[in-house]
Parts: sequence; structure tokens; C-alpha cells
Amino acid sequence: MDTLLIATFEILSFGAIVVLVVLGLGIIASMMGIFNFAQGEFVLLGAYVTYLVHSAGLPVLLGMLAAPVAVGVLGFVLEKLVVRRFYAAPIVAMLGTYALGLIIREAVRGLTGGLYLSVPEPISGSITIGSLHFATWRGVIVIVTLLVMAASHALLAYTSFGLRVRASLENPQLARASGISTGTIYSATFAFGAALAGLAGALIVPVFSLFADLGIRFLIQGFVAVMVGGIGSFAGPVAGASVIGTFSAWLPWLISPVIADVLVFVLAIIFIKFRPQGLVSGRGVNR
Amino acid sequence: MLSTGTGIQPPPRAIDAAASTVMASAFAGRKRVLPILEVALLIAASIAPLVLKDYITVYATRVLILCLFALSFDLVWGYAGILSLGQSLFFGMAGYGVALLSRDFGVGSIFAVLPAGTLIGLVAALLLAGFLLLGRHPSSVVFVSLGTMTGAYAADRLARGSHYLGGQNGIPSIQPMTIGSHELSEGPGFYYLVLAILVLIYLLSRFLLRSQFGLALAGLRENEQRIAFFGYKVQHLKAIIFAISGAIAGTAGSLYAFHEGFVWTNMLGVVMSTQVVLYVLFGGSGTLIGAVIGTAIIEGLSFWLSDNYRDIWPIILGGLLLLVIMFRPLGLISLVLGERERVGHFGPSLKETRNAAP
Repeated sequence: MDTLLIATFEILSFGAIVVLVVLGLGIIASMMGIFNFAQGEFVLLGAYVTYLVHSAGLPVLLGMLAAPVAVGVLGFVLEKLVVRRFYAAPIVAMLGTYALGLIIREAVRGLTGGLYLSVPEPISGSITIGSLHFATWRGVIVIVTLLVMAASHALLAYTSFGLRVRASLENPQLARASGISTGTIYSATFAFGAALAGLAGALIVPVFSLFADLGIRFLIQGFVAVMVGGIGSFAGPVAGASVIGTFSAWLPWLISPVIADVLVFVLAIIFIKFRPQGLVSGRGVNR
Repeated sequence: MLSTGTGIQPPPRAIDAAASTVMASAFAGRKRVLPILEVALLIAASIAPLVLKDYITVYATRVLILCLFALSFDLVWGYAGILSLGQSLFFGMAGYGVALLSRDFGVGSIFAVLPAGTLIGLVAALLLAGFLLLGRHPSSVVFVSLGTMTGAYAADRLARGSHYLGGQNGIPSIQPMTIGSHELSEGPGFYYLVLAILVLIYLLSRFLLRSQFGLALAGLRENEQRIAFFGYKVQHLKAIIFAISGAIAGTAGSLYAFHEGFVWTNMLGVVMSTQVVLYVLFGGSGTLIGAVIGTAIIEGLSFWLSDNYRDIWPIILGGLLLLVIMFRPLGLISLVLGERERVGHFGPSLKETRNAAP
């Protein structure tokens, strides 16, 4: 019973990490039709900013606050300079963002010297319930993920900004005709997605430590999750991420980790093959 | 056009292929850049070992093998619009396959290992194409690219975890390839062998792409739906070219394994797949010579720069790629090659048949 509870907690916290990483990717893919191959590197950058702040002698929590802001600003700038050119050709966008990701990844590799760098958990220790011990930081990740998810959904579903984002998604021409500056909306959406990735990177860096290929691992996982969940809606990527995250955390308890890692992806690809629209085949944000 | 999910298609490539066929024949008398470029590169490649130092010839051999690999990616992406982000799967599987043949069975004859490597690539690509491309619903480009990428990633992970395949270290010290009783080690001999194979496969691909099959492929790349309405089995065309490209990647992989003398997991995984995408996009997808030029330039720069600027070279490479994608989406080749010539003409020369055929 005890191991079951601990396993459940482990699975839950890993699932939360995947959801957090995928949320930004899903929002950009669903709202803008762009598969952002640099998303994994935005996660990496968030982790790196946290590390920088920590190594400057400042509290880690401050770094975690700075990371989404810094990555969001960078996302905004990149959208204005680069990504904007690619809206007409989504495939070229994949390659262009791939090049962006390559630059960020190699820059971080150069800056970190190719090492694994660790960042301490800002809230360490564990919570004891009866005879069970849970790592506090994992719990914090779960709670933050839930909050971020709720906040993102509220932002898209209930605010006027969200309304304009959804309008630009549904019908860009009509949105422009109604006086919405779709260009600004796309910049803001891309920056928002990047900021979410930055936050994800900041939160997970104590768990995974910082290394240059941190992003790649999450990139494939994120894309598979978005496809499994279904592109175009808010709930889709979240559902896909929960499924992929749960399987990724659960299967290694049953079979060897290497096989489990591969099996999750293969199963996901087979699932997408036979259900291309994904788990949630709607569009837009449900209220 | 800003679309979500469904409307994703390969980038438009300007002139409609069929229309340009007519135009190409009308302007057939004009000076053409492509053959000049091809002949010039062939001559340069033929005399290179005579003037280069030996260690550079060895490096150049590797570049030629990578050119062959780049050709295989160019066939699927540049001609059929299939974004295969896991092309290294076939390259690496063939490499591992021939390495195992050599290690466990002592087979090193060129007449056994090259066909074996090619066959491995062909079969692997056929199986993957059967799953990813065929089926009741046509697959989206994103799905295919994700599927191929996952294939390469999975193979990489499995090879890393497999004791039989040498784990992280791969399979070291493969015996040299043999022709009869002659052992083929790196140097000018190997160089000319690879060059001959490259030229042969280049010409075969050129012939294939200038045939009716190539015309259908070009149409498919430009407008998949229209070609489907014409009655072509679009998915079959894609699967065929994917399998052919897998076979070429397999040939390249087996040559690479014997040239380097060892195989390791990077050959299978995302690293190598990335490389080949860089080569082809940089040189210019949609022209065979573009893939070759891109490989030669990137590897040449890499040889020269990575000694002095080892740390920032990958960043420069990423920056160059970004600039090319943003400002020269057709690659460096488009600096010298006009749009009309790039699309080229297909089938038998129209000049002779214009009055005969309907």
C-alpha cells in the first residue's frame, strides 16, 4: 500500500512536469499553427537563467521568477525578428525554429562547458504523512502546474485578451477587419508560450540538473503529447501530456527503463496513426 | 495563410511544374548552369586526391559518403515533400548491420556488405513507410516527421542500452572492406571507390527524377491534392521514393562504417539526422547537386573552423542555417541557379515529340 502511494505520487509529479513543458508548446501549436522546435530550448534557457541567478549568489526562487520573464521577452523578440516570417509556411517554420533551437542549445553548451550543473531545491526537505515521505519540491511542482494550467485556461477563456486570441485563431481576416491587431496577438501568444517553457525549465532544473541536451528530451515528448492530445484545443495538449507523462513515469516500474522510454513513443505514434485527430478533437477553448 | 493542424503542406515552389516544362523547352537554347556545375564538381573531385595531402583525402572520402547520405534526404524532402527527420535510422541501421556481419561472421567482401547494407536500408525504409505513409487516411507532414524522428530516437536509445551492440561505445575496430584478396583501407583507393558509387547513384537518381515518375513526384510536392485527383496513388509514390532513399542511406551507412572503422550510436540518432537536414537545406533542396554542394561546404567549413573555433562553430552553423532559411529558402544553389532550370524538364525532350504526342 505504501509503495503504491509513493508510486502514485511519483507518477503524478512527473506527469505534472510533462504537462508544464507541453502547455506552452500546445498553446503555440494550437493557437498559431506553428510547431515550435525551439520550445525544448526555451525550457533549457529557463533552467539556465535559474542557474545564473543562483550562481550569482541570489536566492533560487528569485531565479525562478526571473526565468519566465527573461524567456518570454526573448520569445517576443524572436517572434518579431524571425518566426513572423514563417506563418505562411508551417513546414519552413519547423525548420526555422529548429535552427533557432540549435543556436540556443549550442550557446548554452558553450556557456556551461558541456557540464552537468546542479541547482538546489529552493524548498527542500520532505513532507511526512504517517510512515510516508514525499519530497516537498515535487509537491510544489504539482501545485504550481495546476495553478498555471488554471490561470492559462482562465486567461484564454475569460479575459478580453483571450477573446482576441481565440478570434485570431478562428478567423484571422475577420479578426483583423474587426480591429484586432493579429500581429500583436501572435507576438504576445508566442511570448506567453515561451514564458511557460521558461517557467517549466526553472521548476524542473533542481530535479534534472542543467545540461545542454535537457531540451531535446522534452521536445520529442512534447510533440508526441500534443499530437496524442489533438491540436487546436486547449484541453487536447493537456490531456495528451497527462497520458504521456503518466505512461512515462509508470512503465519503468514494470519493465526496463530503456524499453519503457521507447515503448511510450512507439505506442503514441501508433495511436496517432489510427486517430490522427487525437484524444480531444475539438477546436478552441471550452468555457 | 495561417492554418491549424490540417492545412499543412510543403512550401510552395513557385512555378507549376507542368507549365514550366513547356517553358523550359521553349528556352532550351539558353545557357544552362546545372550541367556546367556538375561537370566542374566532378572534375574537381576527380583530381582532388592528386593534389591534397593524404589526411585530407581521408577527410574528403568521409565528405563524399556524407554527400551520398545527403542525396538520400534530398530525394524525400526536396522532391517528394516528405520531411524525414529520422533519415539517420537507415544510415545507422545499415552501418550497425555491416559491422555485425564483419564482427560476428567475418564477412568483409565489398560484394557482400554493400548489397547487405543497401538491403537493410531498403527494408527498414519500406517497413517504416508502410506504417507511416500508407493507410486509409493520408498522413500529415508533421506526423511523418514526428514518426521518423521517433524512429531514430528509439533506435538510438535501444542501441545505447544493448550490450550486444556495444552500448554507448558502439562496435569498434571493424575489419577493412575487401575486394577479392585486396584490403581496402582509407586513402585514395577508397576515395575513388566512393566517388564512383556517388556518381553512379547520382546519375541513377537524376535519371529517375527526370522520368515520368519524377514528374509525378514534383507535382506531388507542389500540390498533393491535384496529383491525387489526377488518379495517381500519392501514398504509393511517396512510399516508393522513401524506400529508395532508405536504400541509398543504407549504402552510405555501410560505406561510412567501413571507412571510419567503427560504428556508434550517434550514427543512428538525432545528431546525424540533424546534420543531413543542415546539408540539404544549406545547399538547396530540390536539386541533387545542391545536396552535394551543401555537404561539401558545411563539412569543408567545419574542417577549417572547428580547429580554431571549436566552441562557437555549432552556433555559427545554426546562425548560417537560420539566415539561409529566412532569406534563401531554396538554399545557396539558388544564387546561381534560376527557378526555371531548378524545376527542369521531364520525360523525353518535348522538342521532338511536341507534334507527335497528343
